[in-house]
Amino acid sequence: MDKDFREEEFTEVIKFTPPLYKQRYQFVKDLVEKYKPKKVADVGCADCRLLWMLKFCSCIEVLAGLDICASVMKEKMHTLSPLPVDYLQPSERSLTVTLHHGSIAHKDPCMLGFDLVTCIELIEHLEESELKKFPEVVFGFMAPSIVVISTPNSEFNPLLPGVVLYRHPDHKFEWNQAQFQSWALDAAKCYDYSVEFTGVGHPPRGMENVGFCTQIGVFVRKYPQTGESVQSEKPPEAVYKTVFKAVYPSLKDEKYLQNAVVSEVIFTAQNIKHHLMSKHEEEEDGDDPERKSRFWPSVDYFSDYLRKLVVDQTMEPFVNGNEVYIPLVTIFSFPKVNRLCGTFEKLCKLIAGKVTLSSDGSAVVFNTEHE
Amino acid sequence: MTGRARARARGRPPRQVTALPAVGPAPVPQALRSQVPDRRQPQQHDVPLPLLEEPGGHGRLRGFESVLPERRPEGLRVSSGLQDLSLRDRGGHRRDYHDLGVNTRQAMVHVQESKTGLSGKMIKLTTNHFRLTSRPQWALYQYHVCYSPEMESRRLRSALLFQHEEHIGKTHAFDGSILFLPKTLGNKVTELFSRTRNGEDVKITVTLTNELPPTSPTCLQFYNIIFRRLLKMLNLQQIGRNYYNPGDPVSIPNHRLMIWPGFTSSILQYEESIMLCADVSHKVLRGETVLDVMHSLHSQVGQERFRDACAKELIGLIVLTRYNNRTYRIDDINWDNNPMGTFRKSDGSEISFLEYYKKQYNIEIGDPKQPVLISQLKRNRGNMQGSVVLIPELCSLTGLTDKMRTDFNMMKDLAIHTRLPPEKRQWEVGRLLNYIQRDDNVQKELENWGLSFDYNSVAFTGRVVQGEKIFQSGNMFDYNPQSADWTKETRGVPLIRAVPMDNWLLIYTRRNYDVANTLLQSLFKVTPSMGIRMSKPNMIEVDDRTEAYLRVLQQRVTTDTNIVFCILSSSRKDKYDAIKKYLCTDCPIPSQCVLARTLSKPQTIMTVATKIALQINCKMGGELWSVEIPLKQVMIVGIDCYHDNISGRQSVAGFVSSLNQTMTRWFSRCVVQSRGQELVDGIKGCLQTALKSWSKWNKSLPSRIFVYRDGVGDGQLNTLVNYEVPQFLDCLKSMGTDYRPGLTVIVVKKRVSARFFAEAGGGLKNPPPGTVVDTVVTRPEWYDFFVVSHTVKNGCVTPTHYNVIYDTSQLKPDHLQRLTYKLCHMYYNWSGVIRVPAPCQYAHKLAFLVGQSIHREPNLMLSDRLYYL
Repeated sequence: MDKDFREEEFTEVIKFTPPLYKQRYQFVKDLVEKYKPKKVADVGCADCRLLWMLKFCSCIEVLAGLDICASVMKEKMHTLSPLPVDYLQPSERSLTVTLHHGSIAHKDPCMLGFDLVTCIELIEHLEESELKKFPEVVFGFMAPSIVVISTPNSEFNPLLPGVVLYRHPDHKFEWNQAQFQSWALDAAKCYDYSVEFTGVGHPPRGMENVGFCTQIGVFVRKYPQTGESVQSEKPPEAVYKTVFKAVYPSLKDEKYLQNAVVSEVIFTAQNIKHHLMSKHEEEEDGDDPERKSRFWPSVDYFSDYLRKLVVDQTMEPFVNGNEVYIPLVTIFSFPKVNRLCGTFEKLCKLIAGKVTLSSDGSAVVFNTEHE
Repeated sequence: MTGRARARARGRPPRQVTALPAVGPAPVPQALRSQVPDRRQPQQHDVPLPLLEEPGGHGRLRGFESVLPERRPEGLRVSSGLQDLSLRDRGGHRRDYHDLGVNTRQAMVHVQESKTGLSGKMIKLTTNHFRLTSRPQWALYQYHVCYSPEMESRRLRSALLFQHEEHIGKTHAFDGSILFLPKTLGNKVTELFSRTRNGEDVKITVTLTNELPPTSPTCLQFYNIIFRRLLKMLNLQQIGRNYYNPGDPVSIPNHRLMIWPGFTSSILQYEESIMLCADVSHKVLRGETVLDVMHSLHSQVGQERFRDACAKELIGLIVLTRYNNRTYRIDDINWDNNPMGTFRKSDGSEISFLEYYKKQYNIEIGDPKQPVLISQLKRNRGNMQGSVVLIPELCSLTGLTDKMRTDFNMMKDLAIHTRLPPEKRQWEVGRLLNYIQRDDNVQKELENWGLSFDYNSVAFTGRVVQGEKIFQSGNMFDYNPQSADWTKETRGVPLIRAVPMDNWLLIYTRRNYDVANTLLQSLFKVTPSMGIRMSKPNMIEVDDRTEAYLRVLQQRVTTDTNIVFCILSSSRKDKYDAIKKYLCTDCPIPSQCVLARTLSKPQTIMTVATKIALQINCKMGGELWSVEIPLKQVMIVGIDCYHDNISGRQSVAGFVSSLNQTMTRWFSRCVVQSRGQELVDGIKGCLQTALKSWSKWNKSLPSRIFVYRDGVGDGQLNTLVNYEVPQFLDCLKSMGTDYRPGLTVIVVKKRVSARFFAEAGGGLKNPPPGTVVDTVVTRPEWYDFFVVSHTVKNGCVTPTHYNVIYDTSQLKPDHLQRLTYKLCHMYYNWSGVIRVPAPCQYAHKLAFLVGQSIHREPNLMLSDRLYYL
């Protein structure tokens, strides 16, 4: 951007591509990609847009949002619900998304234990009294390993058309770079964090001294997490109200894992059965040329695979009267089943009572009579 | 934290470059803006406005767009207050699925007072409708909101307006220009001042445009939107039009299916009150992605037929995408593109699909060489048309394919979960009402709007009309009303008209020689008692190849052949199609194809042979039974449509009309046309030839014509009323200046969510066949009724809805209902009562055969026989 930006043309509108808010979110996303936090809280989550973006980050297992305004959260909170496909194909990771209604000036135990806390365009909305308590709550009480704080850089304001005092009527203040940095350094020092400054929204060429349009401080905790003992005092009472909670289906949950395994086992077993039966039928209907040509490709493909498998297995699938036996060992050797269960014992345990097995429990049995 | 930019949180897939809708103003129709200032009178809700858009539907009745606006005959004026409602529920769809505002009853004088019948025994019924009540003097206040200076973004408009929440109140619905409130703001015009984040001062003028009474069409649509909000609050997931509960799925691993229980709901103005109609719905979801299906197809059919197989299996299916909560219909597969291909984003930059999904959703596409799917967007943002590119790997399948539907075992397994008996069904619906009643947030929302539900379902009385007597060659039978079937009663009784089989072919493969002989012996056993004279056939053995069959047909079929009987060894469609195509078009001779497997079971062969004998007889122009039809000089017409999703989007309309007084002979034609052509022009032609045939048989023209029109999608009623009916009238006029028969057009609808339950001994049962409902749950603006004509073994019986949209027959409602029920007895492929009048079912059969196998209009030589049965 800003290729031929000449000073005399400042009356022109500065346009950021992508838009500044997207750049801020991307900044957070990049940070998540870099540090792979498991638990992330967005303080001042507003319409949950950032949370929605973060839910796609596969490292995150706990996402929380906090905002002082419940209705603005509620408006779009359903976008944080699991999608139908999340139920159809439960993912490996677990994910819980929670939204809390409350003020950052208050401590609530639900905000403990996070790896990353983001405060994007938040602090400039805080009243003086709230801002005063902010460092103690975020750095002292919540004490995550990383904190990201972004806020407008007032030095940039003259370049933005139409901005008279602040960029938004609800802003209580807008800081210049020195003000923000001094506030941040104080907080970092007080709570044993290091801080680095950066930003998004580059200034036009030749005006680099005004700094980024949005200034960002990334705080990293210097001391290692010592768990519970950090909290010398008793955790405070819960003061936030939970307005939304979604637990995503995950294979870590036995219920979903079992469903997935049972369905995969039955599907695999049926494939093997079909293959066996069509071979069976072909032997009987040798005089049907069309039939043969229709079946051959699939049989080739499948039997090749089966042959590879059964070489070192002692048991093979077989047909006995009206019953087809497919050994669990064969089923277990299919990559998908294998990956889901991990061990053969786990497989047996998960399908117990859900799939019809032979009397010794070593094979899946299908009765072909009804077909 | 209002300073945070709010953005559309719902993910969108990339659009195709060809049709990129620019970011523009909120999609408020132009017509609306200019109209608003004129529409200030309160209570004004029945303003006739031209419907400018084709009321969509699911793909039925295509191609009326071009003609619709001009043709609006007097006397069939359609009123609608919906045009002023652009409150969108989701995705910009603004379709009138419920045909609100189509007021057809007002043009029919004889049902102005009453449209109810009288005959029959009273029966106590309950239904799945619940009354919606509002507090006294309830009204919905509609405001128009305008901004000075003009603000384009809908988001910004809302944000600016709701800076004044203390003034407007917490309860509101706003679409960027129209604001609905449960209370009045006091003044007719309210001016508010807001400031944008750029410091710009904006004057917002909120003007009262309407004070809507609870029954106005706008209000009705508004209730539905509010109700959907409630369902969302109950954490139900929206898929398509309905809401489902993902927390409690039923999985059927045998078929890799998952069923989500859920609900369909609609709030409408019924006869006396506004009611919620809630029904249980099941969504079938599949644990496979489109790519999985492609892989398994590849291994099944091989490289050569792979693309065809994919098109056949996949096109027309509805998919769910992995990254957002939307459904798309697969309209095409683009084999020349793949995820490495690029598209242009709304900011103008090029990005590949791979990168896009990685960046936007953190999704890694595993197979960069897969083809892409194309989905056409329906009426996107007003008039924009466009298409969306989807990646197979990221799409999950929903619903059942035709192939799955024909899988008996699968359907059986599904039915266990989806066919709920009456008691259970009503209990499930009750559960939804319970959720609503118990959820505090939901109750609060309802209370804020001043609305509430009567949580007990509506009860009323229906009528069970008398069962019909079945006449067959001088014999008269009653049938058991519980089963609505007379197979046993008529066994061994001569048919009304038995066509002899003097010259016929029996074609089989060598492997099926024994089967052919068994069949022949059985036919010789069963035909004498029916009165069918049967000679020995020409037994012909063929190779099991399509060409071999065709060669035999070409060599052996003559004009004297009565019927060709083929025993097929597999259910391969191409062979069947080739035989049917040849014998329906090039060489018009009735034919019967049977799978060898069907004939292979000794214990059922006699039953099967009996059915086949009856079917063959009908195909050759025979007649089986009749019921008493007191009306004279009447022609009955049945119309149904078939839409081909695969090959070139053909549509076929089957047209079947009666030829004789007893309704035992039918004239059948069909219209085949490709996309964009007018179905109805062809139908007009059919009606003309049908009238000529009728006059040939009866030496005069009918004095009354009843058209049962099936295959009408939700929201297409308007099109029918405004275009199809006038075409029928035109056609009648063309038969002669002094020819003025009565015409009755009845729209038949099988897919309705109304369910009726008979109270029996403290429990609920299905209502018996012959149950007629024409009060309480019918619509005041229509001349409509429900008939339960058939029975079901499992689950709940679905009533059929009949909507008389045009009627100059002067027949009393009672008689029309009786006639309709009688016609449900006349379908010769089933010796029992069916769900729709026989001509509709015949039309369906015909359209299906032509759409699936023949693809062009069959030879007219066959048109006086039921050759398609």
